[in-house]
Amino acid sequence: MRWLWYLFRAAWANLRTNRTTTVVAIVTTAFTLACVGIFLLSYVNLRNAAAWLQEDIKIIVYLDDRISGEETRELEGRLKADRMVAGVRYISKEQALGEFRAQFPSDSHLLEGLGENPLPASFIVTPATGYQSPDAVSRWAERARTMAGVAKVDYNQEWIDALAGLIRYIELTAIGVGMILSAAAVTIIGNTIRLALFARREEIEILRLIGATRAFIRIPYFLEGAVLGACGSALALGILKLGFELFRQQISSAGRFQGIENMVSFFPLSICVAFVAVGMGLGVAGSVVSLRRFGEGRG
Amino acid sequence: MIQLIHVSKSYDRRVALFDVTMEIEKGEFVLLMGPSGAGKSTLLRMLIGEERPDEGQIFVQGKNVSRLKQSEVPYLRRKIGTVFQDFRLLGKKSVFENVALPLIVQRSSEADIRRKVMDALRAVGVDHKKDQSPNSLSTGEQQRVCIARAIVNGPVVLLADEPTGNLDPERTAELIELFKLINARGTTVVVATHDPHVMKLVNRRVMTLMQGVLIPEQRGGDRVDA
Repeated sequence: MRWLWYLFRAAWANLRTNRTTTVVAIVTTAFTLACVGIFLLSYVNLRNAAAWLQEDIKIIVYLDDRISGEETRELEGRLKADRMVAGVRYISKEQALGEFRAQFPSDSHLLEGLGENPLPASFIVTPATGYQSPDAVSRWAERARTMAGVAKVDYNQEWIDALAGLIRYIELTAIGVGMILSAAAVTIIGNTIRLALFARREEIEILRLIGATRAFIRIPYFLEGAVLGACGSALALGILKLGFELFRQQISSAGRFQGIENMVSFFPLSICVAFVAVGMGLGVAGSVVSLRRFGEGRG
Repeated sequence: MIQLIHVSKSYDRRVALFDVTMEIEKGEFVLLMGPSGAGKSTLLRMLIGEERPDEGQIFVQGKNVSRLKQSEVPYLRRKIGTVFQDFRLLGKKSVFENVALPLIVQRSSEADIRRKVMDALRAVGVDHKKDQSPNSLSTGEQQRVCIARAIVNGPVVLLADEPTGNLDPERTAELIELFKLINARGTTVVVATHDPHVMKLVNRRVMTLMQGVLIPEQRGGDRVDA
């Protein structure tokens, strides 16, 4: 097993010989990958928010003021019997007024001048699981509009569509920025590997002449690249976590966005592991680029 | 064991070897003589697959080296021990570690490495220096370590490129005796040198290269104006 020990020791020697360069490469890679991570974190959280909003979608079916109590009960029965509907809650005109006053206490005087309660009664409809997609909700709303006694159907789809647009935009930006910054990480690590290759060029030459295969010569540099990439991405995760906690603390203390701090979340373990794995991959890619440029592996 | 058939090689129109045909039998000790730039090093580099001929073919142990795939070259080199004029030892590693390198790249077992390295070091008489850095050794000792590394995995051929270039006459004589000893154990030895004193010490077949051309053979001890 001395050969295995030799490969690990050679990789470790590379990292130690160019200590300053190693540290600089890890820190620079960490900040580069942290930038990618910011986009990824925003993307993951916005996707979660969109999914949460989609699941929480409510359709408001406003009733015609002229509808009788009998017709209202009949409509409620029809809605409850619909397989695309999971729940129906009736809001009377009085309840609607009460909720308005509770939500907008300073504006409640606006309604007093009108004499009669202008707010319509409504049904708050929750779509059943499997019928929460924008298309399904839109189709159902169209159908509900034609029902007798229905004055208007409203739902927060525009908001969801806007969020989906924002997510697509962030996704594309993340891919673009991710590719550019990943190339930067590959270059940074590649340059560090080049220094190690230069420092050990004599040993590489000797290894070649005594019958070492290309793989044997290259493995320590692949290991070095993988270690640099893994350390850089792990440090990037640390930076992101720190920044994330500071952000959450800020929005929590600001008061204005109460509740949001519980909605946002850091990467799950699986994404953290994948992030480090990608960092390792970029490190190895840096090694490959440098080994090619260095011309190692001739005969 | 080694066969060159009409081998030619040029670098930027400068002829390094021209139409060289030669054969070296298994177990032979051959001196490759010639002044600097005669093509000796080029020939040795071709034998280990470091260079390829422009024309002709080279066979080592029946394998056509000139047509070897790059991935096969390391396995050829494991059968050939090479002694360099500038030793090419790693100062940051001990003598033991330097000599162990060819075995490490072949993934030999720990016990094998320990036994074979100590055998090689004993054979060249520097076993007591195994833990030292090559940098702390004399030139002659460094050359012996280099030879130990070349013979540690029992190569079928030992190539030495100007091995006495940095040695005084006394050390040169000792080194030649060492090569004779290695040859006596069955290893084919090819020593490239421009030093006529080496020829006097070796009463074996001599091949002389002059400006890339092989001239008729002589035997060691004969006078040569190289």
